[in-house]
Formats: sequence, C-alpha cells, structure tokens
Amino acid sequence: MSERLIGILTDSFVKILIPGIKVTIPLTMLSFAFSFVLGLALALVQVADIKVLRQFARFYIWVFRGTPLIVQLFIIFFGLPSIGITLDAFPSAVIAFGMNLGAYNAEVFRSSIQAIPQGQMEAAFMIGLSYPTTMRRIILPQSFPIAFPSLFNNLISLLKDTSLASSITVIELFTTAQQIAARTYEPFALYCEAAVIYLFFSTFLTWLQSFLEAKLVWKSKPVTDAGKNRAILG
Amino acid sequence: MLEIRDIHKSFSGEEVLKGIDFKVDKGEVIAVIGPSGSGKTTLLRCISFLEKADKGTIIFDGYTHEMGTISNRDIKKIRMRMGYVFQNFNLFSNMTVFENVMEGLTTARGIERNTARSKTIDVLEKVGMIDKAEYYPGEISGGQQQRVAIARAIAPDPDVILFDEPTSALDPELTGEVLDVMKRLAKEGTTMVVVTHEMGFAMDVASRITFMENGMVVEEGTSREFFSSPKEDRSRQFIRRIMRECEYTI
Ligand SMILES: Nc1ncnc2c1ncn2[C@@H]1O[C@H](COP(=O)(O)OP(=O)(O)O)[C@@H](O)[C@H]1O
Ligand SMILES: [Mg+2]
Repeated sequence: MSERLIGILTDSFVKILIPGIKVTIPLTMLSFAFSFVLGLALALVQVADIKVLRQFARFYIWVFRGTPLIVQLFIIFFGLPSIGITLDAFPSAVIAFGMNLGAYNAEVFRSSIQAIPQGQMEAAFMIGLSYPTTMRRIILPQSFPIAFPSLFNNLISLLKDTSLASSITVIELFTTAQQIAARTYEPFALYCEAAVIYLFFSTFLTWLQSFLEAKLVWKSKPVTDAGKNRAILG
Repeated sequence: MLEIRDIHKSFSGEEVLKGIDFKVDKGEVIAVIGPSGSGKTTLLRCISFLEKADKGTIIFDGYTHEMGTISNRDIKKIRMRMGYVFQNFNLFSNMTVFENVMEGLTTARGIERNTARSKTIDVLEKVGMIDKAEYYPGEISGGQQQRVAIARAIAPDPDVILFDEPTSALDPELTGEVLDVMKRLAKEGTTMVVVTHEMGFAMDVASRITFMENGMVVEEGTSREFFSSPKEDRSRQFIRRIMRECEYTI
C-alpha cells in the first residue's frame, strides 16, 4: 500500500466515522423507534380484531412489504413535493425507514402476541382485567422477549439499509465515503473502509443483542432453579 | 343467587347446548358431571361470557340479563363477582405466585396495596402455597399451580366460583392436594360450580348434582338421591360405567 493511500485512509476514517455517529446512528435510532411504535400499533389492531383497522393494517403491511424500500424513499422525498408536501431529506428518511420497517415489526409483534396461550388472556378477563390492561400487564410483557431477537435483527438490517438515504441527499456515513472516493479516485479503498465502519457498528449491535437477550431469558422461559431466577431479577 | 335459563349455543351449526336451565344458591356446591363432549365446559364458558351464548338469560345478584345482548360493562360487573378455575391453570407466567394473586385485587379492583397484600397472604396460606410466593408458575408442580389458581380466584371474595375439571390435567398423585383445598372451601360455605370426573368428590362434597349429556341436563338432584337412586336410565348407565372405571384405576 502506498503512503498516499494510507494517508487518505487514515484521513478519511474520521471523516466517515463522524457522519456515521452523527447521522447514521440517529437515523437508525429514530427510524427504529418509529417502526417499533407503528409495528406495535399495527399488530394490536390486528389481534384485537377491530374490523376496519385490522383490514387497514393488512393492506398497509401488504403494500410496504411488497414494494422496494428505495422506491418508498423516492416517493416520500422526490414524489411528495409535487403534491405540495416538502420534507427535508433527514425527516423523509426517518419516515420512509420507519414506515417500511413498521410493516415488518408488525408481523413480529403479531406472531409474538399470538404465541402466548389464549388461556392467560381468559384468566385475566376472569379476574376482572379489561382487554387493554390484559395486553399491557399480561400479554405484552410475555410476548416482548419472544419478539426481541427478530426486532433486533430488523434493527441491524435497518442500520445497513440507512445507507440508501445517500440516494436522497442525506449526508450520512456512506454519502461521505462516496464523496471522498470521488475526490481521491480510490473507490475500492474507501468503500471497503465504509464497509468496515458498518461492520463495526453492526458487530456492536450483535454483541448488545446477546447481552440483552441473556437478561430477558427468565421471562420467555422460566428457569427451574428459583434462586437463580431471583438473582437475575434482583 | 346465580340462575341460568334456556341457554343455547351452537358451534358452526352444531348445537352444543340445547336449552339448559341451571341454578346455584348461596353456599351450595354443584357438581356438573357427564361424558366428555356433553357441553360442560361450554356451559361454564357461557356463564362466564368467555363464550357468547346464542340465547339465554342470566340472573345474577338480582339482575336479569339476556345473554345474547348483554353489554361489556355488565359482563365485567358480573365477572368481578365470579371466580373461574381452569383445567390447565392459566397462571400468568410473567408474574410470581404472589403477583398472580395480587393482580385481581390491585390492578383489577383498585384495592390498596397493603390490604391486598394481607389478603393475598391469607389466601396463599389457605391453599398451602405461601412458602412458594416468590416462585414463578413454571417453577412449581401442576398441583401447586392449580392451588395458586384457586387462591387467585378466591382472593376477591367472589359470590360464586366456577371450576372446569380442576384436576384432570394433573398426574393422579397430585389431584389429592387440589381436591383437599376445594373440600375446605366447600366446608367454609363457598358457592361452587364444579365440572368434574372425580365421583368421590361429587359424592362427598357436592350438595347437588347436574348430569349432562348431549348438550342437555338429563337429571338434576341432591347428591344423595342422584347416586343412590338415579331417576333416569342414562344417569344409571353413566354411574355404573364411571364406578367400574374407578375400580379399574384402583
Ligand atoms: N370453540 C369450539 N369450536 C367448535 N366446537 C367446539 C368448541 N368448543 C367446544 N366444541 C364442541 O362442543 C361440544 C361440547 O364441548 P365441551 O363443552 O368442551 O364438552 P365437555 O366439557 O363436556 O367435554 C364438543 O362436541 C366440542 O367438540
Ligand atoms: Mg370439558
């Protein structure tokens, strides 16, 4: 490797890392938070069997899972202005990623809710809990640990998919790498460098996932050793 | 205290309850017996509105409601005064034994925590489960889970408790501990409707027997009358068969 290339790479590492931390990570977090709330809402109206809302949720999921993410991004950023709705690039990306992942998270939440034996819901009704309280106190606390691994996988996918935001002018990690690659004529080195930084982020998330999963395990499958169980809780 | 008139219920065109009348007075223990598939579970589920009856009247606590049109508010009001013990316990897996019992007092009824706590300790002592209070349902045996489920049902002092075959999901050696708890409740004057295959329990503890077959009540009477001199052929045959099964299992 030439000295010039090493110079470019060390120089650009920080230049790419900073928008990674300042833009890619917030974009991922905000979009995920949005998709989490949206997914939960779409799942709840389906399991609660609220007729019209249930059909809306099925339609929504059908559309957002059946069309490419980049097309959704383009519709929101480039398309909406022509009907009078103009949004900045960053909020457009948050909305597009959030709405897209919301459809996937809805399915994760729905199946995790349906994995809880129906009998517990009936038992909750019989001790006098209402439907929303039963969801909040009994069903969701149990379905969340079941949903957790899939939700986290979706989060890691999202982290990587945020690179698509470069196509709607968001200056994030990958956009910066593209700019430096164009300036220095070293696309191979710079895209590899961008890949390494993504890998760094996603490896951290994978580590975080296994760390948190270990903490959640007592809820999804009760351990037989009561003492150990309480130790985890305490 | 609780009266049901002319309940009908069909599942996909097949009538499972064909006009059942049913009555429990305060302090009575009624055993509902009958071959499997006769509609006993469906009857309890309709009384507790876990299943919506097609037709029928429920009279509870002096109020009369049509079962087909009753409002959710009235359903909740009735359930607040009704306990239900399920065949497979249905304890909340995310809560300890103690929290399972507390939930109906604090969250459902807004009872103040300290009052609820002492009530929970009382009922857990009554079913002999106080030393497992901090365990999760997955950490205790089926018999213990069912005793906790009974504690959860009796904690709010309901007017009547419905039991759906509370021992039939248990290994034979664990049924005794659950039946003992139920006997104690009966002795204390708890109003109970018990669907059961335990003929010993029905004979010893129940004041009245309701014998069901094919979605109808075939015979109804005091426990003594029913077992010593059943009026209907069908009842006689059922008693004879079930007694024979008991001998085999002994
Ligand atoms: N949810 C349901 N859907 C369809 N059929 C049902 C349902 N629940 C019960 N049945 C039918 O109703 C009949 C009575 O069932 P059940 O009340 O469980 O009887 P039992 O408790 O006396 O064994 C059976 O033929 C059963 O197959
Ligand atoms: Mg049954």
